[in-house]
Amino acid sequence: MKKLLALILALAMILVASSFALAEDLPTITIMFHGSNVTDDTAVLEAVNAYIADKVGAKLEVIWGTWGDFDEKATNALLSGDAGVDMVFTCSWSADEYNTYAKNGYFVKLDDLIAEYGADLVAAIPESLMQAATIDGAEGMGVYAVNGFKDTATQNTWDVNVTLLNELGYTLDDFKAMSFYDFGELFAKAKEVKGDAFYPFLVEPMVLERMVTGSVIITGDSGSTNLLSLYLNQDDVSADGPEGNVLLNKFGTEEYRKFVDKMHEYYEAGYVDPSLAVAETSNDTRTNAQKTGEYLIGTQSYAYGYEYSPDVLGRGIEVAFVPCTEPYVDTTAAQGAMMAISTASEHPVESFKFLALLNSDPTLMTLMNYGVEGIHYTLDDNGLVVFDADARATYSPWTNGVGNVTILPDTADEGAGFREAFKAYYASAKAIPAAGFAFDNSEVANEMAALGTVAAQYALALDAGALDPETTLPDFLAALDAAGMQTYLDAANAQLSAFMAAK
Amino acid sequence: MVMPGAIWLLLIRYLPMLGVVIAFKNYKAQKPNTFWNNLIKSDWVGLKNFQFLSSPATATMIRNTLAYNAVWIALVLVIAVTFAVMMSELKNRFMAKAYQTMMFFPYFLSWVVASYFVLAFLDPTSGMIPSIQKSLGLKPTQFYMTTTWWPLILTLSNLWKNVGYSSVLYLAAITGIDTTLYEAAAVDGATKPQQVWHVTLPGIRPMIVILLIMSVGKIFNADFGLFYNVPQNSGPLYPVTQVIDTYVYNTYANTHNMGMSAAAGLLQSVVGCLCIVATNAIVSRIDSESALF
Amino acid sequence: MQKAQRQHAGLNAFGPGAQALFHGVLGLFALLCILPFAFVIVISFTSEDSIRQIGYSFAPLSWSTQAYGYVFALGGALWRSYFNSFLITVVGTLLSVSICVLYSYPLYRKDFRYRGFFNFLSFFTMIFGGGLVPTFVVCKTLLGLSDNYAALIVPLLFSPFNVIVMRTFFQTTVPGELIEAATIDGAGEYRTLLQVVLPVVKPGIATIALLNALAFWNEWFLSLLYITKNMDVIPLQYLLMRMQRNADFLAKNAGMLGADAAKAARNLPSQSLKMALVVFIVVPIACAYPFFQRYVVAGLTVGSVKG
Repeated sequence: MKKLLALILALAMILVASSFALAEDLPTITIMFHGSNVTDDTAVLEAVNAYIADKVGAKLEVIWGTWGDFDEKATNALLSGDAGVDMVFTCSWSADEYNTYAKNGYFVKLDDLIAEYGADLVAAIPESLMQAATIDGAEGMGVYAVNGFKDTATQNTWDVNVTLLNELGYTLDDFKAMSFYDFGELFAKAKEVKGDAFYPFLVEPMVLERMVTGSVIITGDSGSTNLLSLYLNQDDVSADGPEGNVLLNKFGTEEYRKFVDKMHEYYEAGYVDPSLAVAETSNDTRTNAQKTGEYLIGTQSYAYGYEYSPDVLGRGIEVAFVPCTEPYVDTTAAQGAMMAISTASEHPVESFKFLALLNSDPTLMTLMNYGVEGIHYTLDDNGLVVFDADARATYSPWTNGVGNVTILPDTADEGAGFREAFKAYYASAKAIPAAGFAFDNSEVANEMAALGTVAAQYALALDAGALDPETTLPDFLAALDAAGMQTYLDAANAQLSAFMAAK
Repeated sequence: MVMPGAIWLLLIRYLPMLGVVIAFKNYKAQKPNTFWNNLIKSDWVGLKNFQFLSSPATATMIRNTLAYNAVWIALVLVIAVTFAVMMSELKNRFMAKAYQTMMFFPYFLSWVVASYFVLAFLDPTSGMIPSIQKSLGLKPTQFYMTTTWWPLILTLSNLWKNVGYSSVLYLAAITGIDTTLYEAAAVDGATKPQQVWHVTLPGIRPMIVILLIMSVGKIFNADFGLFYNVPQNSGPLYPVTQVIDTYVYNTYANTHNMGMSAAAGLLQSVVGCLCIVATNAIVSRIDSESALF
Repeated sequence: MQKAQRQHAGLNAFGPGAQALFHGVLGLFALLCILPFAFVIVISFTSEDSIRQIGYSFAPLSWSTQAYGYVFALGGALWRSYFNSFLITVVGTLLSVSICVLYSYPLYRKDFRYRGFFNFLSFFTMIFGGGLVPTFVVCKTLLGLSDNYAALIVPLLFSPFNVIVMRTFFQTTVPGELIEAATIDGAGEYRTLLQVVLPVVKPGIATIALLNALAFWNEWFLSLLYITKNMDVIPLQYLLMRMQRNADFLAKNAGMLGADAAKAARNLPSQSLKMALVVFIVVPIACAYPFFQRYVVAGLTVGSVKG
C-alpha cells in the first residue's frame, strides 16, 4: 500500500513537473500592430496569455506600432527576415503592401493552415473578405493574410454644417438637390454672413476629386497621388461605369477639366482656404476647422456610425453626412486591414491559431481591444462597455487594425445593437465589378516613380483650385506624357482586362 | 589605440556595405527567409533599379542640388570665417561669447520647428507678410504656390542654420593659433588687417580646406529637412525645391521599392567619392599638408 | 590662459569704428539666430484657439499654459525619457570622445605606419554606406542591439567627421617637438597622450564633445528602429518625434483611412504641446553649451609649449 502511494505520489510529481516544463516551453509569438496608442499592456497580456495558453499553445508578445513608426518597423522586420516578428499588420495602403509583399515571398500562404485549423475563422468572416484576400502570391493563388472584418466598403460623403446651412436660409433637402457645380450661391451667402476670413468649403482636395468625378482608387497605383481612375456607375455601383472597366489617366478627362475649372473659380472667389492646397499644411488646416465647425461644406470618407462619434458630436454644430453614392466594396476597402504571418517566423502554426482565434473569439478580441474588465472598462446595467478614461488612455489599440470588429460588444457611446447594425450595413454593400483587382506595378516601377513626382507637383494644388487649369493643366498633361503615362496606362489596362476576363 | 574605432567601423559600417548589391538585385524573400540568404539568392537585374533616376525631373533636381550646394558652400565659408575672425578680434570678450552662444542656437532646433517659423511669415491666411500686404490693400503673395522667392528663402534658412556652427569650428581653430605669431607680426609692424591676412587665415587653412573638401564630397546630398519641411512639401514649388534626396524620399513613399533607394544612395556615394578624390587631388597639388589623405 | 586670449585681441587691435561694425553685424545675426527660439516659447504659451484662428504668431490673441499642463500630465513617461536622454548623452559622449581621440591621435602622428590606411578606413564611411536594412540586420541580429540602451548608443559611437576635426586640432596645435620631448623623457605612448598631448588639445576635445553630445541628445531615429517593446529606454526627443510622425502619417493617409483618420487626428497632441516639448528638449543642451564653450574659446596652446 505504501509502495503504491509512493508510486502515485511520484507519478503525480512527474506530471506536475512535466506540466510545469510544458508551460515553460511555450514558444513566444510576436505580433506587430498599426496605429496603436498603448503605453501599458501588462494586465492585458497577462490575461491574454492565460487565455490562449491551451487554445494556441504559445505566449503572445505585442509590438504596438504607431501611425508614425509602423511603416519603418514593419518593412525593416520583413525585409531583414527578422524571426522576432511572427505576425504583422498589412493592407492595401501600408508600406508593407499586401499584394506586393505576398508576391515577393514575405507572407506565409495560409490555405493549408485554414483547412486544418481555420473552421471557426471561416465561419466568422464573410466569404467576400476571404475572396478579397485571395491573390496570386509567391506560392500561387491563395490566401496570404487573415482579412479583418471592419468597415469594408468605401463611401464618400459631403460633411454639411446644418446649423449654418439653416442660418443661410436653406434646408438639408435643398442641399441634397444640389450638385458640386451649384454650391457657389451657398458659399457666396456664407461669405456675406460670416465675413471675409471665413472659408466655407473645407475639403480634402484628392477626396473631393474622386467624389465629383465618381472615380475609384486602384490598389497598387502610385501611393500618395493616384494617377489611374476607374469610374463608378453612380446609380448602381455594382454595374459597369460610364467608361466600362477601363482605366484612364484621371487628369486627362473632360470631367476632370470641368471639375478643376469650377474649383479654381471657388478658390479665386475666396471660398477655399489656401492652406488646403499645400501638402504639409492641408490636413492640419482641415482638422482644425472641422473641430470647431468653422465651415459650411466639407468632405468626409464615411464609416457607419461616424456621426455618433465624439469628434463629430464635439463640434458644437448639427452635422449631416450626405452620401455621394451608396457604399461600395473595392479592393482598397476590402483589403483595408489584414494580418499576415511572416515567412521568417519559426512558429507559423501557433501564429495562425492565434490569428484565427482573434478573429472569431469574442473573449480574446474584446481583451485585445478593450482591455481587462474591471481595469480598462466595466459593463453597465445594459451590458454595454463603459471605459475607464485613465486606464483607456494607457491602452487604446487601433480597433480596426486588430481584427474582426463585429464580434466586439457594444459600447455605451455607440448604444445597444450598434455592432449588429454595423455588420448588416457592410454585409449589404455591393461590390464594384473590378473589386479584387490590384495593379502589379513592378514592370512599370520606373514610370510610376517619374509620374508620381509629376503628379505631386500639380495634382493637390489643382484639385484645391489654387492653380489656373487654363495655363497649368496642359503643362501637367504634357509632363505626364513625357514621364511615360501611356506605358503605365497600357500595363494597367492589360492587367485589368485579364483580371476581368478571368472573373 | 585605433582598435576600438576600427572594430566599430568594420562591424557597423563595413559589414553592412555588402548590402550595396541590393542596388543591382531584385531583392525578394527566399527560402529560408533570412536577410543574407535573400541577398545571395535574389536575381541580378543589372542597372534596372537606376533607371528611375533618368526621368524628365532628373535634370531639374540635379541642377537644384548642385547649384544650391555650390552657392551655399561658398557663402557659408566666407561668412563663417568672417564671423569667426570678427569674434576673435572683439575687445569685449563677454559680448563675443554671447554672440557665439546665440549663433549656435539654430543648431539645436530641427527643420520641422524652423518650418513653423517660416510659416508664421508666409502662411497665406495668417502669415505676417500676406497680412501686411492685405492691410495695405495689396493682393497677398501666395508664397507656397509661387517659385520666385524660394531660392532666397532656402538660402537664408540654410545660412541661419549653418553659419553659427561653422563659425564655432573656425573660432576654435583660431584660438589654437600660437599667439607669439601675432606678437612677431606686430613687432614687424603689421597692421591688424595684415595680421588677419598673414597669420589668422593661414593658421586656420587646414580647417578651411577640410570642411571644404567634405562639403564638396556631399555636393550631391541635400539637407532633406530644409528642402522638405521648410517649403511644406508644396508641389508647385518643386521646380526650385526638388533635390535628389526629396525626390528619392517621395519616390520611396510612392513605390516602397528598396532597390531604387539603394541605387540612388549608391549613386550619390560614388559621385561624392569622385568629387572628394578630385578636390583632394587639387588640394594636395597646392598644399600637400592640408590634404585629407 | 585667459590672459593670452586677451593679448591676442588687444595687440594692435582693430579701432573703435571696426569694433562697432563687428558688434553691429554679429549682434544682428545673433539676434536672428535666437528669434525662432523665442518664437517657439511664444507658441508654447499660445492658446489653441489663437493658433486655430490666426496660426503661429508672435502676438497671439490669447495666452495659455495648457500645453505645459499636458506635458506634465505625461508624468512618469516624461521624466523617465528625460532621464534616458541625459543618460544616453553622458555615456555616449564619454565613450565616443574617448574612441575619437584614440583613433585620431595616431592619425596625426607621422611616425604611425598605417596612418594612411586607417585614415581612409574612417573617411570612406562618410560617403559610403550599406543602407538602412543591412545596417539594421547587423545591429539587431548580429550585435543584439534591440530594446536596450546599447541600441541607442553603439550605432552613434564613432563619427568620421569628428575624427577629421580632432586630427586637424592635433595638427594645428600640437607641435612635433612636444612629443619628441616627451619621448626623450621616457614617457610611454599612452602617458604622452594623456599627460602631454591632451591638455594642449582641450579646445578640440570640447568641440567634438559638444558635437557628440548634440548628436546623442537629438537622436530619435535609432529609437524608432531598434526599440520595439521596451519603451522604458526611449529618450525625450523620440516622444516628440513620435507625435510629429503620427500627425504626418495621418495627414498623408487621410484619404485611405477615411473616418479612422479623422478619429485618430482628434487625439493628436496640439501644436503648443509640441512646442512645449521642444522647449524641454532645447533648454538643457542650451544650458550645457556655455560650459563647453569655455573650453572651446580658451586658447591653451601657448603656455604648454613654453612650459
